[in-house]
Amino acid sequence: MNNESVIKSRFEENGKVFETGAPVTGAVSIENAVAVGFGDGSIRFFWPDHDPLEVQAHSGAILSIASSNDGVITGGQDGRFLKISTNAEVEEIYNFGTRWVDNVAAYESMVLCSSGKNVYIWSDENDKPKILEHQSTIGGIAIDQNGRRIAVSCYGGVTLWRLEKNKWKSSKFAWKGSHGKVGFSPDGKYLVTTMQENELHAWRIRDKASFAMSGYPSKVKSFTWAGDNPYLVTAGAKEAICWPFDGKEGPKGRKPLCIASGGQQNATFVESLPGEKAVFAGFRNGMVLLSELSEHPNDVLIQNPTGSEVSNISISPDRSHILVGDSKGQILWSPLWEQ
Amino acid sequence: MNNGCICCTVRGDLIRILGGLMKRADQLDAIIVETTGLADPAPVAQTFFVDQDVADRTKLDAIVTVADAVHLSSQLGEHHEAEEQIAFADVVLLNKIDLVDQSQITGVKDRIRKINPYTKIIETNRCAAPLDEVLGLNAFSLDRVLEVEPDFLDSDHDHEHDDDVTSVSFVSDTPLDLEKFEKWFGNLLQTHGQNILRSKGILDFKNEKDRYVFQGVHMLMDASPMGPWPEKSIRNSRVVFIGRKLETMNLKEGFESCKSD
Repeated sequence: MNNESVIKSRFEENGKVFETGAPVTGAVSIENAVAVGFGDGSIRFFWPDHDPLEVQAHSGAILSIASSNDGVITGGQDGRFLKISTNAEVEEIYNFGTRWVDNVAAYESMVLCSSGKNVYIWSDENDKPKILEHQSTIGGIAIDQNGRRIAVSCYGGVTLWRLEKNKWKSSKFAWKGSHGKVGFSPDGKYLVTTMQENELHAWRIRDKASFAMSGYPSKVKSFTWAGDNPYLVTAGAKEAICWPFDGKEGPKGRKPLCIASGGQQNATFVESLPGEKAVFAGFRNGMVLLSELSEHPNDVLIQNPTGSEVSNISISPDRSHILVGDSKGQILWSPLWEQ
Repeated sequence: MNNGCICCTVRGDLIRILGGLMKRADQLDAIIVETTGLADPAPVAQTFFVDQDVADRTKLDAIVTVADAVHLSSQLGEHHEAEEQIAFADVVLLNKIDLVDQSQITGVKDRIRKINPYTKIIETNRCAAPLDEVLGLNAFSLDRVLEVEPDFLDSDHDHEHDDDVTSVSFVSDTPLDLEKFEKWFGNLLQTHGQNILRSKGILDFKNEKDRYVFQGVHMLMDASPMGPWPEKSIRNSRVVFIGRKLETMNLKEGFESCKSD
C-alpha cells in the first residue's frame, strides 16, 4: 500500500517487513523473543539479534497462544494443544480430535486450555488434566498474578475459580450476553470482559458490583492495562479509550482518557509500553500510533496504513523491538529506540 | 443483539465460530451452516447482517431447506420451526420424491408455495441436486430481488390461509410517495417486525428515475436504489410479505395509502 507520497516512519525505515501471507492471530513474549501465531498454523519466533525462525505447528489456524515456563503453548483448530520451544521442538500436551482448542493460558508450571465448555488444567504433579465444566462454550480464560485464581468467561458472565486446599472452588459473576476475552486488573481486584455488543463489562471481585463501559462505535477486540493508576486501555473507537481504575469505585461515573486520536478508523489492537506511561494503538486500516497517557498526549507514528486491520502489537522482552502484525500477515519488526 | 430486541437476536456461538474460521479465510471457499431441524433460521440469518465483524467479512449466500416430501405436511402442522424454515428458504429441496406419487408432490408443492411463493423448489432423491443450484446463489443481494419474479408478485395471492405462516403480495401501477412509504414501512416493521419473517419489494417512487429495491429479515432491512428502470419494462411497485398474522397488519390498506396523489 506504500506509495511515494507516504512518508515512512522511523520504525518503517529502520525495521524489517515480512509478508507471511497468513493472518496474525496472536503473539507473546518468550525468553528474549516474540512468538507469533498465524492463521495457517505456523509459529514464528522473532529475535532482536538474528533471523526469525518458522515452525509449522498446527494444521488449522492457531486460535490462542501464551508463554509458559519452557516454551509457548498454543491451541489450534486441529484440536491440538501444543508446547513449542524456542529451538523449534514441538510437544503435544493433548489432542482433542476434531474440537477446537479456543483458549490457552499458563502460570509457572501450570498450563491450561479450553475446548468447548471445559477448561483443562495440567500442573506438575499429575499427568491427567483437572477438568472445570461450564454451561456454555468458553470465550476467554485468564490466570491472576499469583496463579491462585482462574477467570473463565462464557455466555452469561464469568466463573471465577479459586484454588483452596488443592480444590478449585467456583463463584459466578453474572451478566447477560456473550462474553469474550477476560482479564484481571493488575491489582487482582477487578474482572473485565469484552462483549459481543460494543462494550466491556467489569466486576469488582470483592462485592461483585458490576458496571458496563459502553459507547463504542464497534466491538472492543482488545484491551490492556497501562500506567500506575492503572488505566484500562481499550480498542473499539477512533481513539484508545483509557478508563481509570484507581480509587474505590474505579471508572464508575468518571470520564475516560481518549488518546491516540490520529487514526482515521476504529482501533483494533492496543498494547502498553512496559515501564512507560504510553500506549500503542493499532487501527482497522493498519495504522499504528504510540501515544502518551495524558490529557494532551503527543502521538508518534509507528506504521502508516497498510490496508489491513492490526491484529497484534508486541514488545520484545528486552523492550528493544516492536512487532506489528495484521490480518493479512504483514509483520513489521523494528527497533523501538534511536540507535 | 444477544440481550436486545427479541426479533434481532444473533447467535453468539455462531459469531465466535465464524470469527475462528475467518482466521484461515484464505483456505476456505465457503462456509455451510447446518442447523438442526428445529432451529429458527432468523437469528442465524440476522447474524450475517447485525454483527459488524461477520458482515464485513462474509456474505450470506442463500438459505436452503430440505423438506421431506412424505412427512412435510404433517410436520408443518406440528412444528412452527418447519414453517419458518420453509418461509426463509431461497431454495427448498423437496426430498424423497421416490416415495410419493405425483398428486402428493403437487399437494406438497402447493403447500410450500402457499407459505413461500418465491422459493425455488427442486425435487430430489437423497438430496441429489446440482451444486450450482444450492451454492453461489447470492440470494440476499438486492440484484437478485429483481431477478426472482416468476411466482413472486404476479398478482395478489388468494389462498385459503390454513397455515400459520402465509404470504401476501401487492402491486401498484400508481407511483408511490417516498415519504409516505418510509413512514408506513418503518412503522410496520417496528410494530410487527417480529411476525414479518421476510419481505422483498421493487418500488417505483414518484419523481425518482431509479428503481428502489429492498429486502428484509424481520426488522432488519436492506434497501437501495438499483439504477434506472429499463426502458421497456413496466414501471410499477411490487412487494411481498411472508409471516404470521399478516391479516392483522392492514397491509393492503397501508400499501395503498402510500400511492402518490
